[in-house]
Amino acid sequence: MIPIWVLTGFLGSGKTTLLGRLLKSPGFSRTAVIINEFGEIGLDHDLIETSDESFVALQTGCLCCAVRDDLVLTLEDLLRRRAAGLVPPFERVVIETSGLADPAPILHALMMGPAFAGQLVVAGVVTTVDAVNGWRTLDRHPEAIKQVAVADRLLLTKTDLLEVPATVLAARLAALNPAAQLLSATFGAVEANRLFDLACGAEAPAELARWLAASAPGEARQTGHVHDAEIACVAIVRETPMRAVGLTLLLEVLAEHCGGDLLRLKGLINIAECPQRPAVIHGVQHVFHPPAWLARWPSQDRRSRLVLIGRNLRQAWIEALLRALEMEVAEVQGAAGKLAATGED
Amino acid sequence: MSTAVPEYVVALLRESLPAWGLAGVVCRSADGGLEVRAATVHLRITRAPAGLPFRWLVGLGGRERAVSGVPGLLRTVRASIDPSYRPIAVRIAALPLAP
Repeated sequence: MIPIWVLTGFLGSGKTTLLGRLLKSPGFSRTAVIINEFGEIGLDHDLIETSDESFVALQTGCLCCAVRDDLVLTLEDLLRRRAAGLVPPFERVVIETSGLADPAPILHALMMGPAFAGQLVVAGVVTTVDAVNGWRTLDRHPEAIKQVAVADRLLLTKTDLLEVPATVLAARLAALNPAAQLLSATFGAVEANRLFDLACGAEAPAELARWLAASAPGEARQTGHVHDAEIACVAIVRETPMRAVGLTLLLEVLAEHCGGDLLRLKGLINIAECPQRPAVIHGVQHVFHPPAWLARWPSQDRRSRLVLIGRNLRQAWIEALLRALEMEVAEVQGAAGKLAATGED
Repeated sequence: MSTAVPEYVVALLRESLPAWGLAGVVCRSADGGLEVRAATVHLRITRAPAGLPFRWLVGLGGRERAVSGVPGLLRTVRASIDPSYRPIAVRIAALPLAP
């Protein structure tokens, strides 16, 4: 039996960082990873490098809404290709949900997949929880509470950003899901087998059964499950490289004016000052990680791509903001260049 | 340097009001400046004169405030017309220019 682990966690809680680390570690070899991205432009798959024996498959759309059947088909296809020797002989499957996904119906689909019998088994759920923003996220987003409640293992991330230990948050997580094991990681550093055992998981906790019951297909059809209507995904694509200072100002304005409504920001940016290597930026609400530089572009596509998910975000405003900042930076730098040319300062 | 407020600032402010959930009007004045009317507030935006270390001037009720760039302009405009606005005191460290 091949164990399937579901990796969930709210937007920006560190799922992709975790996978990025694990996929380079020997302990995570022979793993098939299915990444589900919610948004017009998929980015996560570009941010992950794999080892020779592991690989990543990509799905778009939200797993918990419309593509549960697609997930089942993907898994069935993987099994067929594995049997035919067309993919590495994986011994573990990890499905990364989108940050807004309700994991309960996904688990429901996995457990009920008729073709899996005797081949795949749901081993468990790992939920990442941002140690910095986790409390507020739980307050504001019922999906996040579900993600915690269904977990077999809770992974507290970004603990390096805390000034004091997250004991209050840990207590809240324990109250929500006393059955889950609580672990912590900094920049995704955690042993693969501590999170995703090759041995199959134990029985689901009672909370899981309760959530699964609440997400039965009949009920989902009745309610027409949709994400919070205020949450929008905005994708920005720039053909020309962006100046570093313009990007910095953009992030500053977004943090200042969107604040907690900016749930997640990810970007693969072509910086004008260093066009040969893309900068990866991550942001959650008003917290931004220092940019990371990829060793090389993951494809021939050298455009800057920025994906923002949040409440009440307006594409036209963000486009206008970016243009205004770029124009202003160009004007200022142009003026500085003229001053330099004339010997003034 | 032209005293007119460039079109990219006009476009940004026109998009900013709905993005902030505010009703109001952004229009040009005869001298190329910009008028922002929202609720009972009337702001006038002009380009700062050359030689000053600022780019924009925001006039409100006979007082004028100078701001150094688009981020400051947005902060000043929103703080003037949105009583619920509580800016987050965040500054992003400058992006390193090379890996």
